[in-house]
Amino acid sequence: MSKIAATKLKAIIIAVIVVAAVTGGSLWYYYTVVLPARKPIKIGGSLPLTGIYSETAKWIERGYRYWADEINKKGGLLGRPVELIIYDDESDVDKARMYLEKAITVDHVDLILGGYPGTACVAQMAVAEKYHMVYISMGGHLWSFEQGYQYCFGGPPLMGQWWAIGFLEFLESLPPDERPKKAAILVMDNVIGWACWESVMGKHEVGRRGSGEWVDIGIGLDDLGIEVVLEEAYSLPTTYETILSLVAKAKASGADVLFTLSFFDDGVMTIRACKELDYEPKAIFQGVGTLIPAWVEELGKDGDYVFSGTMLHWKLPYVKDERPDLIEYCRKTWGIDPPLYFLFGYCWMQVLQQAVEGVGRIDHDAMKDWLRTHEIHTIAGTFTFDEKGLPPPYSYCTQVINGSVELIWPPEVRTAEPVYPRPHWEEYGGASATAAGLTVDVESVPPGPGHLCYNIMANHLGAPSFIKGPMMLIMGLTAAVLLVTLAKVL
Amino acid sequence: MWQLVLQSLIFGILMGGIYASLGVGFTLTWGVTKILNISHCTFAVLAAYMAYWLLVLVGVDPLISLAIIAPTFFAIGLAVYIGLMRSLFKAEDITMASMVFTVGLATVLENLMLYTWSPDPRVMITPYTGRSIFLGGVAVPITALTCFLVSIGTVLGVYLFLHKTYVGKAVRATWQNPELASLYGIDKEKVTMITFGLAMVSAGVGGVCLALISSFYPSIHNIWTIHLFLVVIIGGVGSVIGAAVGGIIVGLLNALCGIFIPYSWLPVVSFSTLIVLLLVRPRGLFRT
Repeated sequence: MSKIAATKLKAIIIAVIVVAAVTGGSLWYYYTVVLPARKPIKIGGSLPLTGIYSETAKWIERGYRYWADEINKKGGLLGRPVELIIYDDESDVDKARMYLEKAITVDHVDLILGGYPGTACVAQMAVAEKYHMVYISMGGHLWSFEQGYQYCFGGPPLMGQWWAIGFLEFLESLPPDERPKKAAILVMDNVIGWACWESVMGKHEVGRRGSGEWVDIGIGLDDLGIEVVLEEAYSLPTTYETILSLVAKAKASGADVLFTLSFFDDGVMTIRACKELDYEPKAIFQGVGTLIPAWVEELGKDGDYVFSGTMLHWKLPYVKDERPDLIEYCRKTWGIDPPLYFLFGYCWMQVLQQAVEGVGRIDHDAMKDWLRTHEIHTIAGTFTFDEKGLPPPYSYCTQVINGSVELIWPPEVRTAEPVYPRPHWEEYGGASATAAGLTVDVESVPPGPGHLCYNIMANHLGAPSFIKGPMMLIMGLTAAVLLVTLAKVL
Repeated sequence: MWQLVLQSLIFGILMGGIYASLGVGFTLTWGVTKILNISHCTFAVLAAYMAYWLLVLVGVDPLISLAIIAPTFFAIGLAVYIGLMRSLFKAEDITMASMVFTVGLATVLENLMLYTWSPDPRVMITPYTGRSIFLGGVAVPITALTCFLVSIGTVLGVYLFLHKTYVGKAVRATWQNPELASLYGIDKEKVTMITFGLAMVSAGVGGVCLALISSFYPSIHNIWTIHLFLVVIIGGVGSVIGAAVGGIIVGLLNALCGIFIPYSWLPVVSFSTLIVLLLVRPRGLFRT
């Protein structure tokens, strides 16, 4: 090889090395520095977007999405855009657990979302602990926070064991002769139902149901001198005949306060059964159903005067005064005031956001420690988490009045005077929701797979109607043809 | 107390009558053709969705829609028999083969309904929903009463068909002695087809009535099927009167026991009764 040829070869080799080094360096820089900074932060989990819990869960999803849109408009979380991956677990606890695991192991999400309802949260909390990922949710009951979990937080929780605190305090504020004397408790036979039952009784079985170790958790029916004359549990899903029989027993027991510790669907059936049987207790306390806009839409006036509890409400100063944008958004988008679960979804994301921003990176171990050592500022107020991952116990008492969920207790947050004792059914307007005509406009009802829109449509169509134009003609002809065929076959 | 007993009696009879209308088709298919149609209640749920659609899309009252649903389900019964069930008669043990086959059919149907309508519970609201007639202090819910009357009408219709018409008598003859019936020129194929058609009509009527008084969703057929088995086994397989009486017994058993024991114990009482009854009278109350 000539000297010139050798020099050329050396030059080529050096050039190749330089090009390779520059390309490699650039790629390395791009993939390790530039790309992660631009790569979206994936936040995943599941919600029951269809099935019996969908009426509630779709509002949580909307809260999540509102937060994601808001933070993306502000430049993202840690400067990175946020992307939500929300699976539909069809109101099935097993699927809720499976989809959260899928989000973690298949989608490789950076952060995880809280699920719904409490039964699903309990299952998902175990998954979060297994993968050491911070999980902010409603939790659902105290037992789920007594497992020694490190990564799970109720921010704030929808705590069954705190649910009736506000209502019982309200009853305590009444003169003793005006208080109810006998209580009937209809409880859905699941952990959430029994958690609410503990709240009503003011005692808690530590660790798990059946542990036998009871502790006092505050005021209970006994303390108010109210005798429990009926206590019945029913399984979900339930049927109307079951609810009807249980309400008949409650009526026969002479109870003047009814605790229906139910979800939405069974709660609606219970109120319907109370009216159908003309059962007139002084007060009805319900589980989580009244807080969903569909409550009023399904029951109309019949849904009025029902008490419940909550940990969050748009009329609280943290929302009304500090975040009017949330109220404006809901009114503009759906024509309604912010539903509770919309606020919960948003609030849980606020907690997650503060943990990430507080630590300055996505490091779940550091995030869980940060959450336990700092004050959290949310639309539910400012609070700190204890070693269980819970804020201090609290609950507001609510009552549906004229189709609106009002805050009744404590007095400093009261938005309407409580209606107690509740008026008789005939004073409600004398007709069922449908017969009376719902006041909800179809256009204002959010689109979705739920049954609600159809019910309202049915009402507007004014069933029964014998003739509805061409459609009825076609159906009539079909029936005639089928009847002729039937006659021939016979 | 007497008021609660009376109230429970009324609920029991009303609900029992509705279960009877659902059970009559199930018992006929089982008794006449030996086919144990586990998908019977799944078709009932399908009928409920049809009524629901007719209500919300066209505004037809669910009870009026039965005028369309009943003949449609008769046609569906014929189609299901010709398309799917006929081949089951080649099996050695028709009951076992049909049970396995119809479990599969129920699963497919349930999933199709899940896909079409989602698992959301649906409620049919009519102007008479939530209203009652009060007899003294005892409430008679108008919806349940109307459904009971329709159901009893269906059971009576099937009974009269089987006892007063030529085709009905042929169905009974085939069920009692298939070989002898064939010798008399009764077309077994046609009789079986009609039985299937009638069974589907009963599923349709029962499904719409149950859906009118309670919420429904694709998987609710599992709960209905459990009640159905109780009704049919207590009444006796193949007996229309048995289905009616069985329905009312199950309804009354549930309603009256609910007064004296915690509601969560009811399944224990229901199935213990069934076990005792099977031990004492293995062929049910009315099967001869």
